[in-house]
Amino acid sequence: MIVNKKIITKIEGEATLKLYKKNEIIEFAQIEFWQYRGIEEFLKNRHYLDACVINPRVCGICGHSHLIATAKAIEDALNIEITEKAKILREITLGLEIIQNHIKWFYLTLYPTIKKIDFFKAFEFSKEIAKIIAIIAGQFPHNSYAIPGGVTCDLTNLDILKIKNSLKKMFDKYQNVIDIKGDSKDLENLFNGISKELGKSINKFLVLGDNLYFKSNGDVEFVKEEQSISFNKNVLYKDEFVEVGPLARNLNNKLIKVIYNSYKDSIYTRIFARIYEVNLIFKYLLKIIDEININEKSYIKPKNCSGTGIGIVEAPRGSLIHKVEIENEKIKNYEIIVPTQFNLSNGTKNKPSAAQASLMNENEKFADFIFKCFDICAICVSH
Amino acid sequence: MHSKSKVIWIDGVSCYGCSHSFYNYPEIKELLEKIELIYHPLLPSNEFKFQRCDILIIEGAIKNNFLRLDFDLIELISKLINLSKKIILIGTCSVYGGIFGEGVLFNKENKGKFFKYKDKIISIPGCPPHPEWIAYAIEMILNKKRLILDKENRPKEIFSYTSHMGCVRNEYFEWKIDAKNFGEKEGCLFYEQGCQGPYTHSSCNKILWNEVNSKPRAGTPCFGCTEKTFPKKNLFKTETFMGIPANIPLGVSKRAYLTLAGVAKSLKNERLERKLIDDSE
Repeated sequence: MIVNKKIITKIEGEATLKLYKKNEIIEFAQIEFWQYRGIEEFLKNRHYLDACVINPRVCGICGHSHLIATAKAIEDALNIEITEKAKILREITLGLEIIQNHIKWFYLTLYPTIKKIDFFKAFEFSKEIAKIIAIIAGQFPHNSYAIPGGVTCDLTNLDILKIKNSLKKMFDKYQNVIDIKGDSKDLENLFNGISKELGKSINKFLVLGDNLYFKSNGDVEFVKEEQSISFNKNVLYKDEFVEVGPLARNLNNKLIKVIYNSYKDSIYTRIFARIYEVNLIFKYLLKIIDEININEKSYIKPKNCSGTGIGIVEAPRGSLIHKVEIENEKIKNYEIIVPTQFNLSNGTKNKPSAAQASLMNENEKFADFIFKCFDICAICVSH
Repeated sequence: MHSKSKVIWIDGVSCYGCSHSFYNYPEIKELLEKIELIYHPLLPSNEFKFQRCDILIIEGAIKNNFLRLDFDLIELISKLINLSKKIILIGTCSVYGGIFGEGVLFNKENKGKFFKYKDKIISIPGCPPHPEWIAYAIEMILNKKRLILDKENRPKEIFSYTSHMGCVRNEYFEWKIDAKNFGEKEGCLFYEQGCQGPYTHSSCNKILWNEVNSKPRAGTPCFGCTEKTFPKKNLFKTETFMGIPANIPLGVSKRAYLTLAGVAKSLKNERLERKLIDDSE
């Protein structure tokens, strides 16, 4: 058996992929993250509101999910209810973050592993999507407009109109990437000459968040971290490895289900679910924006100052978990579990994680493609 | 035909927020076509190798015992600095250290590990820096234009402004009307909510974020993210001294500020004391 160790770049951060192969076929794979940035330690003894500034800096591409998870965790700890208006605005900005993430991932991260593409296409979307987030949240990346108790902004109907118009425009434009019927020239071109059966995985799915239209199918109580060969900890659900992310949370969609029935959890299904999810989110956002009552309060001041809480969101890459312990308004303990930990845990040959399983028994020439179809966020792992 | 300037964009301890901010630059394609981007951590580029370059862009902080591309980060940066003609430090991490470590030029208030290379460095702090600032620094070098820098090597065309300049809450600041709460259009965030706008060097409210907004406009205080002190503690609370903000606007004496604040407070602006939008006549 030959072992090939390769540093994977062009993901958010870096990872090492160790491939154990026979001839060109991957028999086993191990994934190592070797970096640590110490965000959880940095938060200790700070006022809980500081977490709304520090935590988005976990990640430049999905930092907004970390912000919303932070606000939710603190709200859970301090027993805070927020208004419908604040909830809807958070749904919109979080949904938009997922959208810009997926488009950047498709054209910047995934496509170049197989074919050349005009990756500037991604920016034509992402900068407009960021602009809509900024109308609500002030800027993107790295805003802190969602705070325990609600949101800091106080929009007018002029803003709502602008948001709605831009959403419609972007939704229309996105039909050229993949349309609502699921037709996508770029996706078909990507798989031209590549089997859609490639990279089947463990076929176990978990959804913990209930934001947007997603439905949770599990309980965070059964999520456990364990030491691994690398810096990051393994994450298991009921002692099993599971897959989180767009495929997991969209399996109840008819169109995605049809593709799943044909190709199971191959990377084609995973990629399809991810880029098609953008359409579903656009549709959902266009619905909820009409439900905003501008006269509701944006923010209600919290009353309690101690407690423990959990905040879960479906982030671009899957279920994101924040846990906080607050004593007299100060953070005593903070813990973050990110989606990439679920998907890229280090299991054994007999009990592999989702990413490991999808690499096994495939030709090594597809390793980069298969690996990156999970949209790895090494930087989130090394929080 | 003269060849394009060679640019290496390297990442230290970072979150890639600087890169993602740069992606929002409206003319990103035109700008990237003007240069030869030899390496970037996320954008499609060739495999990394040490080579000479015209511009080295550093995103992220430096830290001991941190591996990047299988090299010790500090050795990697050191080698690259020696191979490059000009260096742009983008982001507060890279200039001062920020959340994740030490800066290249400074370590918070002190001189940093690579301070001796100050003459070829341009500082573009911000967490993240505005895409236009990054593009500006690159363009100025490409066009061989002279940059006027302050003592921390920040271009004055960007950083001689404060983020307070251009804030839509300025009228409330003039009349010393504080925001009663988060989530409201009315009131200035400088007195209670921790806004650092009046003493933070940046042009956020002049050129706006994503071309449409800024944090204070969205009701979020300025956190001073372009400064060496970022992130200070209690970011949503104004530190006070004898009832007035402990940090006062840049360039004003405490006495002058107190006098002005007292006068403004005593002369009420009735229009601004009320809600901006309601059913009253």
